[in-house]
Amino acid sequence: MKPQAIIFGLDGATFTVLDDLVARGIMPNLARFQHEGVRGHLMSTVPPLTPLAWSSLVTGRTPGQHGVLGFVQYTDPNTTSVQLVSSRQFTAESIWSMVNRQGKRAGSLNFVAHQPAPKIDGWVIPGWVSWRWMKRLSHPADVIEQLKEELPGFDVKKLAIDFEEERKSVVGARMDDYRSWIGLHIERERQWFEVLRHMMRQDPVDLLGIVFDGVDKLQHLLWYYLDPRITPEKPEGEYLRIREMAWDYFRTVDALLGEVVELYGNKATILICSDHGFTATREILYINSWLASMGYLTWKEETAVLDDGTQELEGGVYRQVGFDASRTKAYCLTASSNGIYINVKGRRDNTGIPAQEYERFRRELANALLTKCLDPETGEPLITKVSTREEAYWGPSMNNAPDLTLELRDFGFVSVRRTSCVRADRPLIGGTHHPEGILIARGPGIRKNACIDPVHLVDVAPTALYAMGLEIPADLQGRVIEELYTPEYLVTHNLTLGGDTEAGEAVPVPAGVPDEDTEIIEKMKALGYLE
Amino acid sequence: MQTLTRERVRQDLIELLKDAREDWDTSVTVTDQTGIFNELGLESIDAVGLSSALEGHFEQTLPFPEFMSKAKEQNLKDITVGQLLDFLMTNLDGSAERKVA
Repeated sequence: MKPQAIIFGLDGATFTVLDDLVARGIMPNLARFQHEGVRGHLMSTVPPLTPLAWSSLVTGRTPGQHGVLGFVQYTDPNTTSVQLVSSRQFTAESIWSMVNRQGKRAGSLNFVAHQPAPKIDGWVIPGWVSWRWMKRLSHPADVIEQLKEELPGFDVKKLAIDFEEERKSVVGARMDDYRSWIGLHIERERQWFEVLRHMMRQDPVDLLGIVFDGVDKLQHLLWYYLDPRITPEKPEGEYLRIREMAWDYFRTVDALLGEVVELYGNKATILICSDHGFTATREILYINSWLASMGYLTWKEETAVLDDGTQELEGGVYRQVGFDASRTKAYCLTASSNGIYINVKGRRDNTGIPAQEYERFRRELANALLTKCLDPETGEPLITKVSTREEAYWGPSMNNAPDLTLELRDFGFVSVRRTSCVRADRPLIGGTHHPEGILIARGPGIRKNACIDPVHLVDVAPTALYAMGLEIPADLQGRVIEELYTPEYLVTHNLTLGGDTEAGEAVPVPAGVPDEDTEIIEKMKALGYLE
Repeated sequence: MQTLTRERVRQDLIELLKDAREDWDTSVTVTDQTGIFNELGLESIDAVGLSSALEGHFEQTLPFPEFMSKAKEQNLKDITVGQLLDFLMTNLDGSAERKVA
């Protein structure tokens, strides 16, 4: 049995880099793939962050509806407890489950927020898990043991992210560090591909999803070497050597794409997708320090003041923000979330602004973020867009999401650290997430050598279901991307809507919200988002 | 729901920690004083997987990041099996100690 649809995930892939690599002949398989298919921008979530974005892709829903709100999120709207990203946060059904309900099997490799693995008909080996826990967090329970026995050269340590190596690569990397670190990612991607091929031989599925996440890691660290728009006029020496190493990684990804097409491409629809795009970031905005400077946040006395922006690079996914909640009106919980929470009395605890002041305060804060958070040298705004939670997170999980979400002028991530300055230059130009990701589709009925207008991550799941000839659940937010297909194919292959999706792993906890939110709750109830 | 006793949770926890160690030394006696990092050889990043494994096993969400943050604030050099057990018995929905409290 061969798969009918394959989601070939390239975490953070962007046409900015891929087009350059194709033009240089570094990715010949991708060049052919594009020629035989259709491409367009795949717009990400707000914010364009990995756990939210991949979760939108696999559920066909935006974050407020699927429940995955970040690497770290509050446990529920009524508490100050936080939890790490996991499959238990899904309030929406995944595409793996949707195809199961229609009698098809699914396989999922290296997707974030998939641990513990959902018990689907098929197999799931989650991403973002250290090797020690892969066995326990995968499905079926014996899948890792089976791979150890049956797949020559399989090493679970190579499959997982080596977080220590990741840290080393970020902090003061040298040429040798780059070489070994890129080598690790090349080995990891090959190992994931070997797992894919082995699983498809031993236990084939109809829908296959795999994410190669080294693209994101390389681009974060080596953006300066990959973005053709900022290549030095006369590149030489170390620059050329590092760039060549980074290109080797992309040569590997291209070779793996070539193998997937050769193995399954004669019948399967293959959707190359990224969860977000990428661009250059040159500065760090210390958002909590700005909030403190404006009187919105009060630090605890013991919270250390950092002056060196590079120290931010050593930070973990979650660091407790050292502010005094009783004297804080607004704060950012985690770096990378770019989300501001407003401290409302009676919401998570008894500190913060009175509930009746919420709307006025939120408007005031949004306005201040846009007009008063400025580059001290040029006076230009550092923040270009502020989204309310209704705009960014509409759905049952909205009340657990940040009240305001920021887009910075260079699309970078904020820092939550206490510093003496509000803004600093990054020591090196880095890569950061951009809302425009990629979609390149190839398969039966799909047009050739064509481009489409931007579509959204939530459109991928319904499109994959359509490609498999399955019903599309009526309540998905996304749509089938019909413009991928030839008119003749659309005429002979009807799009069939089915019943609603089922619930995910988690059930949203209704918030103890302030009175003025009642109207929104009522609207959500009317739409069936809350009961 | 069946009430989870401390002994029952301890057994489950040790099984879970064993799973994370391919080279588990069966002669090691695990007590409440055994450190999960220094003595059982987990690395700091394994805390993330441990959190998911515990949540998956006990089928509920747990405030694990706060537990780890508090340990860091207290400058603990290691987290013992006993401390993990205390955390679980405080937070697991079906725990005997939570029911009494």
